[in-house]
Amino acid sequence: MAKAELKAKQHTQVEDSSSLKGTLASVFLLGLFIIVSWVSVYYLFVDRF
Amino acid sequence: MISSAAAKVKVDPRDAKLSMAHFFVAFGALAIGGLMGLLQTLVRSGKFELPWGIGYYQILTAHGVLMGLVLTTFFIMGFQYAAVSRTAGTHSPAARRTGWIGFWLMTLGTLMAGVMILLNEASVLYTFYAPLQAHWIFYLGLTFVVVGSWVDGAAQIMTYAKWRKNNPGQPSPLLSFMAVINTVMWIVATLGVAATVLFQLLPWSLGLVDTVDVLVSRTLFWYFGHPLVYFWLLPAYMCWYAVIPKIIGGKIFSDSLARLSFILFLLFSIPVGFHHQLTEPGIDPAWKFLQVILTFMVIIPSLMTAFSLFATFERYGRSKGATGLFGWLRVLPWGDARFIVPFIGMASFIPAGAGGIINASNQMDQVVHNTIWVTGHFHLTAATSVVLTFFGISYWLVPHLTGRKLTKAMNKLGIIQAWVWFIGMAFMSGAMHFQGLLGGPRRSAFSTYGDSQQALDWIPYQIAQAVGGTILFIGIILVLVIFINLAFFAPKGEEEFPVGEAENLQEKAPMVFENWKLWLGIAAALILFAYTIPFIDIIQNAPPGSKGFKTW
Repeated sequence: MAKAELKAKQHTQVEDSSSLKGTLASVFLLGLFIIVSWVSVYYLFVDRF
Repeated sequence: MISSAAAKVKVDPRDAKLSMAHFFVAFGALAIGGLMGLLQTLVRSGKFELPWGIGYYQILTAHGVLMGLVLTTFFIMGFQYAAVSRTAGTHSPAARRTGWIGFWLMTLGTLMAGVMILLNEASVLYTFYAPLQAHWIFYLGLTFVVVGSWVDGAAQIMTYAKWRKNNPGQPSPLLSFMAVINTVMWIVATLGVAATVLFQLLPWSLGLVDTVDVLVSRTLFWYFGHPLVYFWLLPAYMCWYAVIPKIIGGKIFSDSLARLSFILFLLFSIPVGFHHQLTEPGIDPAWKFLQVILTFMVIIPSLMTAFSLFATFERYGRSKGATGLFGWLRVLPWGDARFIVPFIGMASFIPAGAGGIINASNQMDQVVHNTIWVTGHFHLTAATSVVLTFFGISYWLVPHLTGRKLTKAMNKLGIIQAWVWFIGMAFMSGAMHFQGLLGGPRRSAFSTYGDSQQALDWIPYQIAQAVGGTILFIGIILVLVIFINLAFFAPKGEEEFPVGEAENLQEKAPMVFENWKLWLGIAAALILFAYTIPFIDIIQNAPPGSKGFKTW
């Protein structure tokens, strides 16, 4: 029983260590930041010119 | 075999000496240039006037030349020289001699240009825009800096070529490859500034010709001026890609991806200078459009870098058992100055890069052109991302080269320094960005412009910049204390020169990446495509040339 639990835990860890979901989320946040800043200044342009 | 491997791990003391020589000039420039920056922000606050008839534009020129040209070029050449020595093997006596010749040429040029600025004979700003006319010794001095950097860079190329010859069919060590890409990009880029200085500004300032074609000179300058910023940035990327993974105990996400991104920088950094001239009359909008598109191509390797760094951190964090979406952030070595100082630089590159995309967009350039927003932008890119990474590099490289140790106390001071810098820059660069959006001009001394309401609204931002500038100056004092300590006083010992390993060592980088004929050929083709026709157009339809102006 204890052994099986240990095995299952290890298995999850191995699978998790190859995950890049945090990277995916980070690059999406980065992209969002770029778009928001670009659109804000674009709005200033449209407003002024 | 063992001895050669051991010799490779430590930079040879003879190479270390030349690298350190570069760093002494670089940090000397930081000290003087930093003081000039502080004075600028104080003048612009409106609460302070320069004594003894010193002009605002004189200190502005000194700040720009010392920080933008001297600190960066000397640090980069010193770092890359050491990185090539560490990874491709000790430089040969011939390469080392070449490096020293380059170093002394650059130093001589720096002294010539510096003396002319101090004598108030060259207050033409670091972009030395004609028709502002400086003393010919200033231009000649900058020529020596550029030619010296070519000679200096040749030393790195010689050692790289030797490695390639001794290891046929093998991809070169990553750091050496990156150093050579940056050197080659620099040589191609500086051809533009060399052309305007040698063929236009020198004959004109010597009185051999009466007038100068302003648009040709500005176009040649910006042909150089944009790759210049990538020349600053790529050594920081060298640290982020190839050094940081080793410092945190992780692996380089992909060696091939790192090489590809550097090649893309070589290709797309140069044919883009028109995005600095979007408001310039006399250049066909179609060619501006083309160069804006090419500018946007540089976003690709930048985002590849961002992805690769996030992935390196996440892989490392998960290997340490981190879970959740962002759990890996927690296990990074936040107490290690060698990591956190460049990390703050990386994080700053997110707003810096976003601002860059805004600058390069034609319509938005109408909002921010020639405003202090642009100054705020390059104080995030160059003066935060790049410079903090350079500081972080020096915290292990200087003790490595001088045979000393980064002590716990200096490590702590390094971390404090980076936070001081970050806070000071948040004030200064943040205020510059906002003031720029409200129309505040760059490159200008304090003025209320006849007490116009708009100009009065800028003053609080200018005071915030002075506060930020003062905090940053404290940061400069701290980094100088650390540098002097690590160079002369830290305890003797061995400090590691960290060089990361790729995660997948079986995956050999494609040899096509080392095919210089191919990449230089494509780079040349892109440059000719982007510049030939507009350049002919600029010359054929040139207005009468301008005589020189001395406005100071």
